[in-house]
Amino acid sequence: MEMARQKIDKIDITILRNLQRDARTKYSDIAKQSQVSVDTIIKRYRRLQKRGIITKTTLLLDPRRFGDEVIANFNIDVEPQSVTEVITFLEKQPNVKFSTHAMGEDDIFTIATARNMNEMNNLKEKIQSHNMVREVKTSIWVDQFLLCPQNFELEPLMEKKR
Amino acid sequence: MSTPLDKKIVEYLTEDARMSFRKIAKITEKSTDTIINHYNRLIESGDIRGSTVVVDIEKIGYQGIAAFEIDITSSDDITSDHIMETLIKMPNIIVATKTVGEHDILLLAVIHNLEHYQIISEEIGQIQGIKNISSDIWSGNKKILPKYFII
Repeated sequence: MEMARQKIDKIDITILRNLQRDARTKYSDIAKQSQVSVDTIIKRYRRLQKRGIITKTTLLLDPRRFGDEVIANFNIDVEPQSVTEVITFLEKQPNVKFSTHAMGEDDIFTIATARNMNEMNNLKEKIQSHNMVREVKTSIWVDQFLLCPQNFELEPLMEKKR
Repeated sequence: MSTPLDKKIVEYLTEDARMSFRKIAKITEKSTDTIINHYNRLIESGDIRGSTVVVDIEKIGYQGIAAFEIDITSSDDITSDHIMETLIKMPNIIVATKTVGEHDILLLAVIHNLEHYQIISEEIGQIQGIKNISSDIWSGNKKILPKYFII
């Protein structure tokens, strides 16, 4: 896993930090902060993309503003050896936005969005009725959820010189 | 989100948040000022919460994601809002939400390895008002919907 870790320097970190907070930050503002030329920043930005460190820039949207009023996560317990089968089933449900095999309290962790509580409940019942599903625990997300892209630690990547 | 133009703006910027307003204006055959006005309105209304860069977590040294589900004991001094504020300031915690159901708060954190996961668990456990933590680790580089959840 250490192999995947890539070295980046102070300029790269300044670029990433700025874009994490606001992906539309001007190259010239980042250049000023780093005390290098705009060209250098553009070159570095492209290199971060090329190296696959930056996969894309995107907007952060509130799903509730786009017709999906309810967000929930399901913790699902399934019969032994049926995790893949249940995940495949979950991924076919249009409301399901994300599903993963989990290690710990539960077997599968899923995030779903729905237009209303009724629709979410229908999804829950559908999951529950799957013959390999033992238990579904639901948590409905309330209030504005918080996102903090700046909390990724980037600095340790710089220290490991050798 | 009201107009078809708003939808277009959101669509383009979701794919590339750095796309210039001038380019969007050209594609949609509107003026750059119109695009800027619409964009500002989308920000003011809260439809757009911001923009960010999506990084490949494995490339920056993370092995996976952990979900922490937390039960709290709130009092007059320590409300769930206080606890949320403390949590979201912790390094490596990238999503936090209050929940109704089995637990009170859900956190998603990026983790370097098992040891790091244990350290984060302990740090969360030390926060005042936190009664119980149950957690799951997701293996591999999971892509959640970046436009909603960063990763």
